[in-house]
Amino acid sequence: MIEVINVWFTYPNGTIALRGISLRIRDGESVAIMGENGAGKTTLVKHFNGLLKPEKGVVLVDGINTKETSVAKLARKVGLVFQNSDHQLFSTTVEDEVKFALKNLGFSSEEIKERVDWVLKFLDLERYRERSPLSLSGGERKRVALASVLCVKPKILILDEPTIGQDARQKRKLGELLKKYQEEKNTVIVVTHDVEFASKYFNRIVVMARGKIIADGPPNKVLTNPTILEESSLSPPQVTVLSREIAKKINNFPKDIVLFGELLNEIIARIRR
Amino acid sequence: MSYTMFSAFEFKRKDTYIHKLDPRTKMFMTIVFMTVALLFTTIIPLLITFIITLIPILLAKSVEEWLNSLKGTTILLVFILVINSFIRDLNFALAMILRLIVLITAFSAFFLTTHPDDLAQALIQMKVPFDFAFALSMATRYVPTLAREAQTIMDAQMSRGLELQKGGLTQKIRNLIPLIIPLIVNSVRRALSIAESLESRAFGAIKKRTYLYQLKLKKNDFIFIIFLTLYLLLMIYIKIYSPLASWMEWKFPL
Repeated sequence: MIEVINVWFTYPNGTIALRGISLRIRDGESVAIMGENGAGKTTLVKHFNGLLKPEKGVVLVDGINTKETSVAKLARKVGLVFQNSDHQLFSTTVEDEVKFALKNLGFSSEEIKERVDWVLKFLDLERYRERSPLSLSGGERKRVALASVLCVKPKILILDEPTIGQDARQKRKLGELLKKYQEEKNTVIVVTHDVEFASKYFNRIVVMARGKIIADGPPNKVLTNPTILEESSLSPPQVTVLSREIAKKINNFPKDIVLFGELLNEIIARIRR
Repeated sequence: MSYTMFSAFEFKRKDTYIHKLDPRTKMFMTIVFMTVALLFTTIIPLLITFIITLIPILLAKSVEEWLNSLKGTTILLVFILVINSFIRDLNFALAMILRLIVLITAFSAFFLTTHPDDLAQALIQMKVPFDFAFALSMATRYVPTLAREAQTIMDAQMSRGLELQKGGLTQKIRNLIPLIIPLIVNSVRRALSIAESLESRAFGAIKKRTYLYQLKLKKNDFIFIIFLTLYLLLMIYIKIYSPLASWMEWKFPL
């Protein structure tokens, strides 16, 4: 569980990135953190694994204060995948790249082998095992970066903008993988601008603006609220736009639908009636 | 550490006497301060040199930024102090540190107050070919970007359990590989894409360029240059002709 209690953070250049954030993320939740550029999303998730320490307030990971432990110690529990995979790939083969974190965290050699095999299979990267990560395409590099963190099997997995530069198929695959990982009793947190991705694969949406949390709830409550969307410069999911348009013409048609399946069922039910 | 060290040499727009000086004047200033620092090897004269070098920093209201640049070099300063104390003695070590601080101060006085574009323009007017001047201003422009990138890479690798301080000396050096390789790869990638975008905007299509702004030395520049010249000549005179007064040779009794 992650507990964030009234956290403030200011960068050395004077930018106040977080202004009194309080948030509780329970084990096994799937959370999408959304909001406009510069809202403080990345700053917030960097607090979850201790890269940044709060200036005021406390961040507790499973009851441990991040101020009193090291990033390396937290890395076993909290995995953070950065936005740009080029900021972390350096090994000569994909296999070595994945091994890096496992070696750093002191896993035994059998366990390293087992986990490398598992993660490469899980992310469909087996055929790239001997390839240089730098020679892969952008989308594949992103998956290798994910593999290099996921191999630790962190109880809490955080991804910063995982869908950027991914085609529709990769995005769907990624969404399903994250869902599968979450269903194995792990917490999955993403930072994203992609409302479709967030509403489809995540149960809880946290919206930030100007260093504060302005909304927190299930997708069909948060992503259908025009005031929240406006304030955080997000566009509503296409399904929501459509359901709103229908609601203008047809009495008591629900306006808060975010998922395609739900909208379809609603329409079919009305046609049948 | 790395970030504060580099950001300290980053230009900050301010409206002061020093900021308004011509880049060439400031270039001359840095050379004069450097030369004077290299003339002396004892504590008291270097201390006086240091105080004089501090004047432009004070005038430029950039004390905080300058302190940051010193903070970033603490490790280097300690290293020099230890090595020199072993090889010679503490007095010499302290003098060498003072000398290095004067050099850092002279350089940060220049870079903190000079916009990279003005530096390039100054070089061009000093008959440096445009390509070289442009490359230099690009390089200064990318120092902070690179520093920020280094910080992000460090964060990313620490999130994968990398501990920079762990192990003996060889291990510590090996710990740097995961930082250096992504930094180099990204720099090369960026350089290629900059080259492409320059070419797509017809870089180098016309051999003889014209400029919207021309730098011109103003009255304040001449006054400043005169002061600097007098200071330099005086110091050279003291060094060569007048034996230093006894209090100038003061040392820590050891």
